[in-house]
Amino acid sequence: MNQPWKPAPFAYVRPGTTEDALTELARDGAKVLAGGQSLVPVLAMRLGRPSMLVDINAVPELRQISRSNGHLGVGATVRQRQVQYDDAAAAVPLLRLALPWVGHREIRSRGTVCGSIAHADPSAELPAVASCLDATMVVAGAEGVREIPAAEFFTGAMSTVILPEELLTEVRFPVAEEGDGFGFGEIARRHGDFALAGAAVRVRTTSAGSRARISCFGISDHPVTRDVTEQLRSALDATGTDPDESDLRRALADHADGIADDVVDTGGDAHASAAYRRQLIAGLVSRQVARAYLKSLRPHREGKP
Amino acid sequence: MSLPYAYARTEADDTVDVTMTVNGSEVTLSLPARITLSDALRDHLGLTGTHVGCEHGICGMCTILVDGQASRACLLFAVQLEGAEITTVEGLGRQDDLHPLQESFSKHHALQCGFCTPGFLMSSYDLLTHEPDVATEDLPEELSGVLCRCTGYRNIIDAVDEVAHAHRDGLPGPGNCAQRTLVGRTPSGAGPAAAAEVATAAVPGHHPDEIALPTGEPTITVDVTSQLESAPTEVAQVFGDIRLLARCLPGAELTDELGDDWYRGRARIALGPVRLSFDGMAQVLEQRDDRLVLRAQGKDTGGGSAQAEIVMSATPAGTGVSLHAEARVFLTGRVASFGRSLAGDVSRRMFEDFARGMDRAAAGAEPDVGAKPPGAVAILVGALSDRARARLRSLRQRSRDRTTRRDRRRTPSRDER
Ligand SMILES: Cc1cc2nc3c(=O)[nH]c(=O)nc-3n(C[C@H](O)[C@H](O)[C@H](O)COP(=O)(O)OP(=O)(O)OC[C@H]3O[C@@H](n4cnc5c(N)ncnc54)[C@H](O)[C@@H]3O)c2cc1C
Ligand code: FES
Ligand code: FES
Repeated sequence: MNQPWKPAPFAYVRPGTTEDALTELARDGAKVLAGGQSLVPVLAMRLGRPSMLVDINAVPELRQISRSNGHLGVGATVRQRQVQYDDAAAAVPLLRLALPWVGHREIRSRGTVCGSIAHADPSAELPAVASCLDATMVVAGAEGVREIPAAEFFTGAMSTVILPEELLTEVRFPVAEEGDGFGFGEIARRHGDFALAGAAVRVRTTSAGSRARISCFGISDHPVTRDVTEQLRSALDATGTDPDESDLRRALADHADGIADDVVDTGGDAHASAAYRRQLIAGLVSRQVARAYLKSLRPHREGKP
Repeated sequence: MSLPYAYARTEADDTVDVTMTVNGSEVTLSLPARITLSDALRDHLGLTGTHVGCEHGICGMCTILVDGQASRACLLFAVQLEGAEITTVEGLGRQDDLHPLQESFSKHHALQCGFCTPGFLMSSYDLLTHEPDVATEDLPEELSGVLCRCTGYRNIIDAVDEVAHAHRDGLPGPGNCAQRTLVGRTPSGAGPAAAAEVATAAVPGHHPDEIALPTGEPTITVDVTSQLESAPTEVAQVFGDIRLLARCLPGAELTDELGDDWYRGRARIALGPVRLSFDGMAQVLEQRDDRLVLRAQGKDTGGGSAQAEIVMSATPAGTGVSLHAEARVFLTGRVASFGRSLAGDVSRRMFEDFARGMDRAAAGAEPDVGAKPPGAVAILVGALSDRARARLRSLRQRSRDRTTRRDRRRTPSRDER
């Protein structure tokens, strides 16, 4: 047939329950279709030729945003755009800081939070958010449900511990607490493009002092998370505990090169060399850690990252 | 998006039915699962306003609204859209009543080659409906999901900015979304499995419940009066025979009588390099000796559609008849881009030819209309005029009977359908 279609033929199935979805996924060559914003381009270029797409968008329980036990649960078909504006999702300010960087509005209309995390593109924002917050991935399979911490989830470029017959049903993000401050930044060639380098930051300030954690992306085959509490403390020793943002940024810059050397393990690519990415990370980390620290000093208000 | 529930399943070589609402009209297509929404809109519904560039989500040409949110039509499979509401650039405004965004794009010269324009219109429509307070300085970033190869960004931003400022309390909705019957078509060169058909409209021998006209101003209105030499009784005979009547129109051809006053037919129009061929249906709403009301809808194979309501009345004038024709014609797609005045002129000229044909037919001669377009009429001219006249008499009796049961057809409500 002389048709202009791009993808190779595939069977299409749209189950109505998670259980049925898992039954379908057990078949050879089956692939989950969530928002399709990464999968459809892959099919269009025939980089992938799954024999069956399991469209999970009709499963009602996967559409939920829920809040319990200090966690925000984001179901497998919850759109990125929905999370960006959802009141409940405001409890995870880092998501709100990161989402505007994910593609464009038109992409976020369909793309899902879980899909981005399952897809695990090394330059994607949401895997870094999940890593920085140490989110929990809830993965269902024939044997039951596994809960996987972010630190064990991402195994390499576009690789996670999810098996082909499993479904990521939900990601649980811890909600922000009093004393939390967040920072997020990235450098891309143009808005909406994947990042050349980016950093997500959480600083938690309590009476015992401040702890800082960064998760960098675009610089390795998976998000790289580090505790930078020591570097923040020594910068604060230099500036005092109530510094001006630019002073703190400068003080952090003294440590940023060391951090960048540690996290950047890409050899560089056509878009940016490893050395350039290190420079970007050094700048992003010092700026965003400074911001996150200053926010952590402010009284906690939900939804105001 | 309301999706139906378990289990929709399509094997790789099968087609699946999907029912969605496109620009206010419900349509059912039968498609293979791997047809993207952009291809379905363009190739199966003739809505070629949705452009296709990269086909993997980068360029934004194919941006449309799904349930009110801008999305990439090239990154959706049509089968996923069961129950969804789609708005394309064709739904945004009418040629004679453009959406404020379209007006503004025109005013600010925000379209050069125009390839990116539908994408920018739909993307900015979404932006301004969801973020009416968007600041001027945020526009470049907010609109960065669509690329313009002519790099006309500055004017595009000016155009959107002006509309944003003028409509802070709410952007007017899409102005060309109405219930109408969309006739699916088969893309040229496609095998049988690729045929997309509107469930009822395209099955031979079936007709839709009604032809619903869009609301608002038509693209063309025709209002012509022609003097016929034939006597009122002779004209009444032609009014009573739809087959004969169709032959009075150059290029028209009745291909099928579907019953219940429904007819299937074709009309061909040739204007210089432009060749249009409409396939469609007509429903006679009123048929009296001196008055005829019908509605017609057709799809041009090149991707335009037309809907029309035609009212003809014959009034005695001297020994002859004054034939008055009024038509409201709604055009979309390629034919609409013709330019209104040209299309209006063509329609008027066609009516004049039609009146001449009627005069001949009423006089019992073959309606040998001038300016014969290729093919269509010639096939019919061979018909025996004796037989035609005999049929005429019997049909006329039927039409008298029919006039007593008029006006029962009313637009059924959505639920009834
Ligand atoms: C023009 C463009 C720009 C983009 N820019 C960015 C960007 O800047 N940053 C960014 O992060 N992303 C970007 N994306 C990708 C986009 O964010 C996607 O939404 C996201 O990566 C995938 O989510 P999805 O829901 O669309 O998943 P899909 O495309 O449906 O699926 C992606 C993959 O994950 C698998 N999968 C999906 N959901 C599940 C699940 N619940 N369980 C198991 N497996 C699953 C699928 O089988 C598939 O292999 C861009 C996309 C486009 C088209
Ligand atoms: S054609 Fe859909 S984004 Fe380019
Ligand atoms: S006007 Fe030509 S691509 Fe934008």
